[in-house]
Amino acid sequence: MPKPVHQVTFLPNNLTFDVFKDGENLLRVAIAAGVHINASCGGNGACGKCRVIIEQGRVEAEHSAKISEEEWEKGYRLACTCKVVDDLVVKIPPESQIDNSVLRKDLGQKQHTLMARDLNTLVQGVRINPAVSKFYIELPPPTLDDNLSDLGRLMRELKNQHGLENISSDYFLLRRLPRLLRQADWKITATLVYNPKGLKLIDVEAGDTRAQNYSIIIDIGTTTVQGQLLNLNASHEAEEHSVINELESDLLVASDAKYNSQVRFGEDVISRIVYSLKGDGLKELHQSIIGDLNEIINNLVSKSGISKDQISHLIVAANTTMTQFFLEIDPKYIREDPYVPTANFFPPARALDLGLELPDYIHVYTFPAVSSYVGGDIVAGVLGAGIFQREELTLFMDVGTNGEIVLGNCDWLVCTSCSAGPAFEGGGIKFGMRATTGAIEQIRINPETFEPMLLTIGKKKPLGICGSGIIEAIAEMLLVGIIEPNGKFRRELDTWRIREGETGWEYVLADAEQSAEGLDEITITEGDIDNIIRTKAAIYAGCQILLESVGLTFAELDRFIIAGGFGKYINLERAITIGLLPEIDHDKFMFVGNGALLGDRLVSVSREMAAEARKVAEMMTNIELANNMKFMDEYVAAQFLPHTNTNAFPKIMALLEGDK
Amino acid sequence: MAFSAQTEKYSGKMGTLTFGSGDQALTVGGQAAMPFCTFDGEIPHKPIVAMEVYDVVDPEWPAAVVEPFKDVINDPIAWAKKNIEEYGAKAICLQLASTDPNGENKSADYAAELVGKMIDAISVPLVVWGSGNIEKDAEVLSKVCEANEGKNLLIGPAVEENYKKIAAACLGYGHNVVSQSPIDVNMAKQMNILINNLGLPMEKIIMEPSTGALGYGVEYSYSVMERISLAALAQNDEKMQCPMINDLGKECWKAREVKLTEEEEPAFGPDMEKRGVLWEATTGIDMLLAGSNLLIMRNPKAVKLVEECIDELLA
Repeated sequence: MPKPVHQVTFLPNNLTFDVFKDGENLLRVAIAAGVHINASCGGNGACGKCRVIIEQGRVEAEHSAKISEEEWEKGYRLACTCKVVDDLVVKIPPESQIDNSVLRKDLGQKQHTLMARDLNTLVQGVRINPAVSKFYIELPPPTLDDNLSDLGRLMRELKNQHGLENISSDYFLLRRLPRLLRQADWKITATLVYNPKGLKLIDVEAGDTRAQNYSIIIDIGTTTVQGQLLNLNASHEAEEHSVINELESDLLVASDAKYNSQVRFGEDVISRIVYSLKGDGLKELHQSIIGDLNEIINNLVSKSGISKDQISHLIVAANTTMTQFFLEIDPKYIREDPYVPTANFFPPARALDLGLELPDYIHVYTFPAVSSYVGGDIVAGVLGAGIFQREELTLFMDVGTNGEIVLGNCDWLVCTSCSAGPAFEGGGIKFGMRATTGAIEQIRINPETFEPMLLTIGKKKPLGICGSGIIEAIAEMLLVGIIEPNGKFRRELDTWRIREGETGWEYVLADAEQSAEGLDEITITEGDIDNIIRTKAAIYAGCQILLESVGLTFAELDRFIIAGGFGKYINLERAITIGLLPEIDHDKFMFVGNGALLGDRLVSVSREMAAEARKVAEMMTNIELANNMKFMDEYVAAQFLPHTNTNAFPKIMALLEGDK
Repeated sequence: MAFSAQTEKYSGKMGTLTFGSGDQALTVGGQAAMPFCTFDGEIPHKPIVAMEVYDVVDPEWPAAVVEPFKDVINDPIAWAKKNIEEYGAKAICLQLASTDPNGENKSADYAAELVGKMIDAISVPLVVWGSGNIEKDAEVLSKVCEANEGKNLLIGPAVEENYKKIAAACLGYGHNVVSQSPIDVNMAKQMNILINNLGLPMEKIIMEPSTGALGYGVEYSYSVMERISLAALAQNDEKMQCPMINDLGKECWKAREVKLTEEEEPAFGPDMEKRGVLWEATTGIDMLLAGSNLLIMRNPKAVKLVEECIDELLA
């Protein structure tokens, strides 16, 4: 366990809370401590409502027009602009308390916020040994006595100087080889790629370019596409464990993400497959995803300031349908009984042949798939989460447009997929958005006045709400009694925030003044709540059926790993409150953020990991839910907050009953 | 060695519900065994058949359910009396069909007054059933509750879209509520939880898990009800331990097989009355075998058949 660096005591409730990070935002601490302070602008200092008095200790804070010079002297600050750099005693003045009930009723419950960086022990013993490596060679120039061909000479020296043998090459490289060798004065860097069949020479550059070895990794989701640019050279120096540590990784140079443009052809894979069957549909869908990748690649390159010549490798993880669209392979039979994909293991393809704006020598490694509905993204996630290395019984859950679930350990793996929908990525939610700047990610609602307290990513005025915010919003609304367990508003409550809008009943999170410019308001509608309830029900029921299929229950799990594009955090209690996660020991949970990128990154830095990925894909047994009668039953049972089977959630039920 | 029969012991038992007032009050439920399995556990209260009367009759009704009431069919109170005095009804269900906005659209005040007169006129407990229009039922049934405070009526159906008004009125004015859900064991439980959350105790709730007539989904109702019973008894799920009611008369008497004449379907034969009576009785017995505690039925002969069956099986 990390040690707290500071302690903050809130008055008048005299509630002390540990802070683990120097410079942590004071409003965030208040939220974590369950102390209610007025805050409606997302934490950017604009509303001036989160006034607090620093009674003891020191904070770093900005001056604000909302606080007079006289008040500043008395210790008044805006909580959202304060960095905690000392032990503090903070008084919440009456005007910042929405009323006297600053203390939440569920305060006895400690809040567990899982961050994506909690996982740096997942995969052990990764040997840094990238699949694409660069070798510097000084060739002896040819003479009449030593008149071996240019390519032969290069191969000979790769053997003599680096011990590398049986190397194949691409003909297009030969076209530029003779001039390049001589212009470089026979001092060159060779780029070799390791694949299951052996070594392949893919590029030769003048001089020593070993320091410039970058790879691009991509996760193609049905709703979101994400990419990262990694510095493979840094991987040689990097500590083993930090390789897979997203936030602190030395490897990560730049990242980028966007919505999948294929959305215009259909929200889900099925409607896109249907579209692809018409006329040039397949080509359109292929070009659409290639366009997205080109946009991301160009953004990564310009963000990092490198040139495309310095990129050596491209790694893609995607679900089976997205993989087939990416490679322009007809996905028709994925959708038809008996649901067979074209391939589970994809041969390397040249990036250029797919239409990617990358140099001709770059090859694409595509993660292997398991079945039509469990794809390479899940194999990548299982790889990245290190399940294949441990005896512990682990459940891995990736919440994307489809919810994919994998259960097992180093000896066996079973998996399934349930149609969840993109709600946790912001899809099908009126003000839903990806977890980017301006997305509401944390919410508390005052149980007496029903006024919300919002924090946004980047502390800007709220633009919308991302997955982690939606989980918190629904859990809070349930806990304070704004909604019933069936997700319907209690319309009789005395607050203007619950009202009948254009699309039905809704709760107003932020009005025009509190929302980002150009927005009239941000609301959560009954339709949004229905969507989330259906999504979480599909995922929970899928987990339950998968466990049952091997005769296990949630209680027997040693580890529960969550992946997905919710946002930076998942508040465990809130996710359990809405019944997305089971009520089991909190220490068993881990949140890994984007699971596919995690696996991508491993394969990028270690060629052995590509072999492991293959093993993982071969090991997984797929269980179909489509023809499982019990699934429908469990699905309906899970469409309630937290669940129709209230016995499975004793702590949440006690909390809800205590609130009455 | 003497033979000893294997018996099932259950950890839970069904709750009871009492409706009607004074000496007339009836109690249903309370069983600690699956239907009629008296050798497994106690079945303290016999299932009851409530005979229905309508405040307006659909002209499409087959003769078999018009003939027995033709002298009283335009007077629901006289009809109820005839059901009790002549056909031995143990309870009455007043179907407020005239309040349907797609029909006569009679007012909530009218309904409340009619219910009041009915209570005064009859000597058995009363079930009051709305037209099935979600908004109108909320208005009509809450008015019925208010105007007849303390009469301990059984009021329904309350569905997810209107349960709040109806159940709140039952709670406020001392009545019982019918919690109706769309043929699904989990949804039935969810409705019970929602109503119970409003403050109405479980012993004031009866479940109507949606009734399908013979040939029209009776097997779905059967399996959902059987699972409800098992959840209540074997799993001791307290949110499933309220008795069950089936509104089956109106489902049976609109079945194609009951309405077709011999000319239209020669294979069905000439005796339309017998066909209809058996259709309704069979559906009723099916529901009893699935765990029902209270049936709403129409034809006196069908009611008699079902009651004989109950008596025999519980003898």
